[in-house]
Amino acid sequence: MPAPIQSPLERRYARLGLLLIAPTVLIFCAVIIYPLVSAIYLSLFRVFTPTLESSWVGLSNYRELLASGVFWKALWNTLIWTAGTLTLQIVLGIGMALVLHQNIWFRSLARSLILFPYFISTVVAVLVWKWVFNDLYGILNHLLMRGGIIDMPIDYLGSMPNAMISVILVGAWKYFPFVVIAVLARLQTIPEPLYEAARIDGAGPIARFFDVTLPQLRDVLVVIIMLRAIWDFKEFDLIWLLTGGGPSSSTETLPIVVYRQAFALNQMGMAAAWAVSMMAILLVFMIVYIRRTREKETA
Amino acid sequence: MKNSLTFPNGLTRRSMLAGLAAGTALSALPRRAHAQDVTLRWWSPQGAPAQAEAYKFQIAAFEALNPGIKVVFETTSDEGYAPQLAAAFASGEVPDLVTHLPSFSVQTYYSNGLIEPFDDVINAIGADDYYPGANDVFKTADGKYCGTGIGNTAANMLWLRRDLMEAAGVAAAPKTWDELRAACQAMQKDGIFGAPLPYGQNSMTSLIFIGFIHGAGGQVFTPDLQVAIDSEQTRAALEFYKSMRELCPPGATNYSWGESLTAFVSGATATGIYAGRVLANVVAQNPGIADHVTCTTYPTISADVAPWTFNDFPSVFIPAQSKNKDAAKAFAAFLFDPEGYIKQLHAAPGHVLPVLKSINENPAYQDNDIIKKYPAEVDLMSGAAAGGFNLGYESSAHASNDRAGEVIASNAIADLVQRVVLNGDDVNAALGDCAKAIDAIMKA
Repeated sequence: MPAPIQSPLERRYARLGLLLIAPTVLIFCAVIIYPLVSAIYLSLFRVFTPTLESSWVGLSNYRELLASGVFWKALWNTLIWTAGTLTLQIVLGIGMALVLHQNIWFRSLARSLILFPYFISTVVAVLVWKWVFNDLYGILNHLLMRGGIIDMPIDYLGSMPNAMISVILVGAWKYFPFVVIAVLARLQTIPEPLYEAARIDGAGPIARFFDVTLPQLRDVLVVIIMLRAIWDFKEFDLIWLLTGGGPSSSTETLPIVVYRQAFALNQMGMAAAWAVSMMAILLVFMIVYIRRTREKETA
Repeated sequence: MKNSLTFPNGLTRRSMLAGLAAGTALSALPRRAHAQDVTLRWWSPQGAPAQAEAYKFQIAAFEALNPGIKVVFETTSDEGYAPQLAAAFASGEVPDLVTHLPSFSVQTYYSNGLIEPFDDVINAIGADDYYPGANDVFKTADGKYCGTGIGNTAANMLWLRRDLMEAAGVAAAPKTWDELRAACQAMQKDGIFGAPLPYGQNSMTSLIFIGFIHGAGGQVFTPDLQVAIDSEQTRAALEFYKSMRELCPPGATNYSWGESLTAFVSGATATGIYAGRVLANVVAQNPGIADHVTCTTYPTISADVAPWTFNDFPSVFIPAQSKNKDAAKAFAAFLFDPEGYIKQLHAAPGHVLPVLKSINENPAYQDNDIIKKYPAEVDLMSGAAAGGFNLGYESSAHASNDRAGEVIASNAIADLVQRVVLNGDDVNAALGDCAKAIDAIMKA
């Protein structure tokens, strides 16, 4: 079948359309495609960071990376960290949002203060927590020893599993306000008649939470979990500043290895290979996230 | 009445004259880069408040002599300078002058063509004024110098509290590891721990443990730079280091230089392992113990093995990518101008020790409360530092190791310590992995 002939007006509109979309495409290429292709290209070279001298090695960086136990250990650490801190963020976030949704005194002030950990700089937050955890002068050990709960200070950041638990706790404290904000916004839009109907049916507070609140929060929680999972997966500064990946690589996550490869071992090409591998894993999260949002749009 | 001529920026006449003298001495250097509106960026990991004050004085004096040149001081850190400089070199946004980095890092950078030869600055300062061999550690394979020392540091001195020793019945400073462990066991009571040895995943653990390997009579590399860490001496050092864990605070698993220093200065540990900064910090922060503090070289496995002092040979160097090399060279030489240099040394008395004979003999340098209060300790540290070594220069028989900086930055040695001491991993396996990792870095 011959293609329909476009009128001059249609052709002009088509050109105008291309012209209008061009800036967006150019910006997209500059900030997304170019860095992405650069990283993949870089990962095929052995590059000495300070001088950027390079030699082609093909896929050898990937072979070396996948053959080393370090990659799988770092991936495992990343998954533990992500799953641990995300679970706590969600539980704490929903709990706090439910509290702040009630008619309590100073509700407005409390809603503002709850955002404090999320807004504070990570460096400052880590310094504060390091003092809290300090073995000799930390308030936590001091209180536990004064309370007669422990005889000797606990090493929170230098031994396992304490280090991973501490990092997960600090991460949860830092990022749970994001969950609070999103869940609280959704809570305020749940129709009150749903709760009234549940009450008439004899549902208590717990039943109302599981049968009314949670189903209503489902959509927003899916989005929150996807976003936070991606962000937590690539978290660097908080873990690096708290433990540096130690003790003995026990909290060394993928982003820390990327940093170490690039700037401590001066192997920028290998660091790019790590980063690209990380991106491939993150892609799985992205696909789930995109599918979910598409489903929402078509629903 | 005595007239005192002062200049608008607060400089004294004496400092101006000294500056002029230094300016004359610098005439051998390339003329300053017609330096209108030049800004020099100066990086250093040594940025304690008192030191920053001394730097301010030196900067003001230099700027007064060189209108149009501005110097901006930026602090880096002992743990952070390697990544920061790697990024700076890669981007071309380098500082114009870097001070107080260990000599082995400077050699690494020079071997990769990242650093400007420093011979003309050394000549401007006065090559004859240096202590004999003071610049050997900066000599490169091409016969030039990649930098110079801005001071000496005896970084692994054993710090002791005489009051605690006396109370615990420890008659003399320990000379061997067995004596040290026994002394720490005797002094560990009433909430005070024996020692603040580092077990963290950081450079301090690596650098300090290298001292223990040498303290057992071992070495990390042979003189021709073959990896030699997998040895019985390293095993002995690991065994001793592990036995000391119960005598260190629980948080020593995360200790670096700052935490280790604070543990001793605050009185939380009976012994310390650090450089001369302990003296100033004790006097300022814990004067109650100031009269009881002393130091000695760190014990070794037996009296047959001589102490091995870790001197990082704090350096001065100029990145090759600096756009203001002439001005940077002039400023580098000016840092050794007596008035400013002495102020800088006095900012951490006993910590950074002078490399110039004329400075050590200068009454103004000796006229310092800390140096006068602890003359024996400062003398001991000066001697120990002068005969000190580091991974880039393990002994006078060793070739210069320009990969030492990367070995330290890789944390391979700290990881060895953590695996054996904290995780209880098999020593042979951990040592084998460590040797392989170091070998890979050497061959990369």
